Amino acid sequence: MAGFGGSYLSSILIGAAAVLLLLGLWEVALRLFDVPVWLAPKPSDFLVRLYTDRALIAGHALWTSLTIVEGFALGVLVAIPLALAIVSVGALERGLYPVIVFLNIMPKTVIGPILIIWFGIGPLVAALIVFLMSFFPVLVDSMSGFRLVDRRLFYISRSMGADPWQTFWKVRLPAAMPHIFSGMKIGVVKAVEGVIIAEFIASNKGLGFMIVRASAFMDMTLMFSGLVAAAIVALIFNGAMSVIGQWLMPWSRH
Amino acid sequence: MTDTTMAEMKTPSGPARSSGGAPAAGASISARGLTKVFGSGDNAFHALGPIDLDIKPGEFVSIIGPSGCGKSTTMLLVTGLEPPSAGTVEIDGKPLTAPISEIGIVFQDHLLLDFRTAIKNVMLQQEIRGLDKTALRDRADALFERLGLKGAENRYPWQLSGGMRQRVSIARALVHDPSMLLMDEPFGALDAITRTQIRHDLEMLWLDTRKTVLFITHSIEEAVGLSDRVLVMSKSPGTIVEEIVIDLPRPRPAHLGEYPEFSKYAERIYRIFEKLGVYKF
Repeated sequence: MAGFGGSYLSSILIGAAAVLLLLGLWEVALRLFDVPVWLAPKPSDFLVRLYTDRALIAGHALWTSLTIVEGFALGVLVAIPLALAIVSVGALERGLYPVIVFLNIMPKTVIGPILIIWFGIGPLVAALIVFLMSFFPVLVDSMSGFRLVDRRLFYISRSMGADPWQTFWKVRLPAAMPHIFSGMKIGVVKAVEGVIIAEFIASNKGLGFMIVRASAFMDMTLMFSGLVAAAIVALIFNGAMSVIGQWLMPWSRH
Repeated sequence: MTDTTMAEMKTPSGPARSSGGAPAAGASISARGLTKVFGSGDNAFHALGPIDLDIKPGEFVSIIGPSGCGKSTTMLLVTGLEPPSAGTVEIDGKPLTAPISEIGIVFQDHLLLDFRTAIKNVMLQQEIRGLDKTALRDRADALFERLGLKGAENRYPWQLSGGMRQRVSIARALVHDPSMLLMDEPFGALDAITRTQIRHDLEMLWLDTRKTVLFITHSIEEAVGLSDRVLVMSKSPGTIVEEIVIDLPRPRPAHLGEYPEFSKYAERIYRIFEKLGVYKF
């Protein structure tokens, strides 16, 4: 543990230095070759824009974040009970699971236009697409989590006279948690990826929508600012997942 | 090892007696024609039996046999945790129809829950059974003291050594004062030194509490070192081929070779295994 803080800090410093170097080279190259801003903006352009248009960008970033939270939360809330049902009932595993796998192979954005007709253009449709994208990895990992719990743990809980409810809450769910959580980590990555695409095609709010609109106006600087903002949102969500993971499962650090 | 802790564990009217009102001192187990067949038709696998068992209250009985002979299955059948394919079990003279919970189980792997500290793993018994928290916590503390776990209460399983994890799992099996302790190769995953110590600690604990113990093992040393009686099982489908009463004074020493009788008992079991074709030399 002693070396943990040090190496963590140094990896942040190295990462930051690499980003700064990249931005510096970018800035220098664009100035050197005098590239027009409508073709490729310099870091000084879009970083300044990120600040001057912060209200606009933050507003859209907030919508994007909200969409991720909604879609992802729905995905987790559906995936975990469904995983338990599929693992517990043989008929569901044979009947329902192949259907879900088939639906997952289908590109989710294809459903966008259909959802637009059903629900109209808006963040709701984007959230539904995020749900479809993040749901599957959570389902698959929760299934293996529930399945891989040592059978003998159930003997122990039954020897304590536990009812199925107690067994689930006190033994099975927490024991499956590391698997469920690794599914959720993949799910969040899918969600932050998917949300921008979903907003491209099916929303009138959020960073994806902002970037598409900026593109229509040839506002290259705002597009790059949107990109940076999207990256920050993704970083925050992935970081939050790691923190929650360490809080929920302190033993997984080892 | 204080007198008070021992007294607490022995007190017949102690706090943990509340767990169902069954006699805490040890239950009798009796089984007739116990058989287990897994699967059916052509895929059926005859794992065990038929076997008869008669274990007296407070007796320490080991079942020893080669891997896969059905000795672990026996343990699950006599507790009702798995239903038998044929045969009957009686606990304290009452026919067994559903899983009984007046028991404590220890498996080869500690099977502690990663997300609970040592003490919380033990207190799972209290939570699930809905027993009195203070009383059970006192018992847990006493068990931790006796098992050399003092100071490890708030550590997580991954912060404990293999031997300590197994000790926590023994504490978990005993904290509710069950009438029966079932152990399935509990020391199988431990190193020889730890195994000898934990064997002694278990024996001392058993001498104080006199619970009925069914101990499944493939170690002759453990079986002879701990038991009142050793049941030798054949290869699958396992049947009990011989019963050996171990008449050695207790507590038994770390080095069992001190007793000349020990090697005689061990030798006898080796001979039976040889005859059964367990060894091929």
